[in-house]
Amino acid sequence: MSYEGDYSPHLMPDFTAATGIPVDVQSLPTTASHEKLLTAHAGSALPDVLMLFNGWIREFAMIGAVAPVPTPALTAGIFPGIRDALRIGGVEYAVPWSVAPQVQYYRRDIVRDAGYDTPPLDWEGWLQMARAIKRRRPDDYVFLMLLNWPTALLTMMTQAGATMLRDRATRGNFRSEPVRHAFAFYAQLFAEGLAPRALSTEVQDPVAAFAQGYFAIWPSSPTTLLDLRRREAEIPATRWGTARLAGPTGPGPVSGDSASLCVASSCDRPQAAWALVRHMTSRASELKFQRMIGNLPARLDAWDSPQLAQPVLAAFREQMAQPAPIPPAVEWERIQSEVQLAAERVVRGIQTIDAALAALDDRVDRLLAQRRALVDAGKLA
Amino acid sequence: MTRETRAAWGFTAPVLTIIVAVFVLPTLLAMAMAFTDYSIYALADPRNLHFTGVNNFTTLFATPLFWRAIGNTLLFALLGVPMAIGASLFAALLLNDATVRWKPLWRVVLFAPFVTSVVATAVVWRFLFNTRFGLINQALGAVGLPGIDWLGDPNTSIPAILIFVTWKIFGYNMVVFTAALAAVPQDLMEAARLDGAGRWTRFRHVTLPAIGPTLVLAGVMSVAGFLQIFAEPYVMTLGGPAQSTTTILYFMFDEGFKWWNLGQASAVALVLFLMILAVTLLQTRIARRNEWL
Repeated sequence: MSYEGDYSPHLMPDFTAATGIPVDVQSLPTTASHEKLLTAHAGSALPDVLMLFNGWIREFAMIGAVAPVPTPALTAGIFPGIRDALRIGGVEYAVPWSVAPQVQYYRRDIVRDAGYDTPPLDWEGWLQMARAIKRRRPDDYVFLMLLNWPTALLTMMTQAGATMLRDRATRGNFRSEPVRHAFAFYAQLFAEGLAPRALSTEVQDPVAAFAQGYFAIWPSSPTTLLDLRRREAEIPATRWGTARLAGPTGPGPVSGDSASLCVASSCDRPQAAWALVRHMTSRASELKFQRMIGNLPARLDAWDSPQLAQPVLAAFREQMAQPAPIPPAVEWERIQSEVQLAAERVVRGIQTIDAALAALDDRVDRLLAQRRALVDAGKLA
Repeated sequence: MTRETRAAWGFTAPVLTIIVAVFVLPTLLAMAMAFTDYSIYALADPRNLHFTGVNNFTTLFATPLFWRAIGNTLLFALLGVPMAIGASLFAALLLNDATVRWKPLWRVVLFAPFVTSVVATAVVWRFLFNTRFGLINQALGAVGLPGIDWLGDPNTSIPAILIFVTWKIFGYNMVVFTAALAAVPQDLMEAARLDGAGRWTRFRHVTLPAIGPTLVLAGVMSVAGFLQIFAEPYVMTLGGPAQSTTTILYFMFDEGFKWWNLGQASAVALVLFLMILAVTLLQTRIARRNEWL
């Protein structure tokens, strides 16, 4: 998935040299990986070691696809906030590999022209800066928040203090003031023409668009570091910087697509598999991966390395201490996409915020019906 | 049982066994699954699997997106079938004209899109439809028309995909129609011309009855094809914007393979099957009445 899949083979020669175990790496496209891995589990074809985004671990643990971590030594020294968030019923099923909170990548030159050294970190200030940029560049936009990717909005909701599921995560809780506040702010960015109404399929090359100044603020994850380094000829490192995402009154918890490594429960060589996990999450591998693709280590001691002292990483480092909580429903992945669909209807003027949130609660209640029945029957915690 | 019958069974049994095992049985199981609550929870623990009667269908009919998907699919079929068949017939008639030269070349060129990969060509068309750099909007701009946000506007997303689909598939029926047109009796054509029939009258009363059966077949196949449209919206728009290109099959794929609600997805499959069956029966009946079959 993502660059991890493409670059993991570079971590393997050391492992094979040390243990004599050959490793075959298979890369999956990020957008299709969830269904591919589920299908692989149903067909008993999961790889021995697999990467999962942290939001999926509960689901894969529930269906019995991944094995519990055999020894606490494997997760020792991981960022405690992240490790604890992944403990399910007291059991660990995954070794956190990377932390990938979103931050805002911003165009230094455009932000400076609008009269700011760095982007403000509160919504009101963000909006003022965006309006100032839009006045100077009416044909371009300020933000890139793709209309079919939920992270930007979910971050806003978390920052506004929303608890998105209620009654032990068996019902939607979207008709609440924080959610309404986040939806209103999100919709306003589009209504004022500060963000393009675009899907991921329409912005084929966001890096080029960022380089051309089509937008100046780009909430994105650490993988963008590699994209920007690769395209240095188009956008020199002096033209962009990173800052924490703005929140209602200042930075807050942020969602991201942090990833962990798991071992399939169907694996018939668990010792070798866990040895590979230990190798891939070691300090040396984490640092090597950081140099290659910009991935940020989940291991605390890796952060002592001078290579992580670069100024562009400071925002990530601060943000990591405040990960957004993951609601404990296996349907969460799906609910996120429903949230984004509701937001898209609001942004396109098809529904008002209140109507969209009512429909969202209704929809999520239906999606959670089976979970509700199981929780009520005491079969699910 | 005579020796011949035994031999016949001997020859057909392997194939029949395979067909039953990989086609009939899965179909029956899928139909049965439509009446269960098979979901991710059943994958976790088979004890969570229950027979739920028509529950899946009532849930389905109460889901706004399902109706949206049916509407989108019907729109695809309603606009797409005439567009695709019209384009095929038009191209075939042009190619059939005696004055056209290099016919094999034209046939190859026009047929080529049909044999290319959907995903590869969809990516190319996504660039053509791009709002800022797309060739199509540049062409519109050159003649003074405003640009259109083809794939980003819920009102134009279906037409945009249909333009691509028509381009992609018209070659197949064009070849079929070319073959049918070659069989139009030339003596009838001559007789009609001598009687003073114009171009349109000759087409209406000589060509059309002669290619009628082929047209019906192409119609049935196209309707069935458009009702099952999936790959094009999946690659071009991911079902968006605002779910305006989510088709029944897309909805089924999402339910079944993305979220693993196989019970619900099987119910969708059953509904789609009944829809295609109904449309096909209707078409055959109309064709019978007009004595095209």
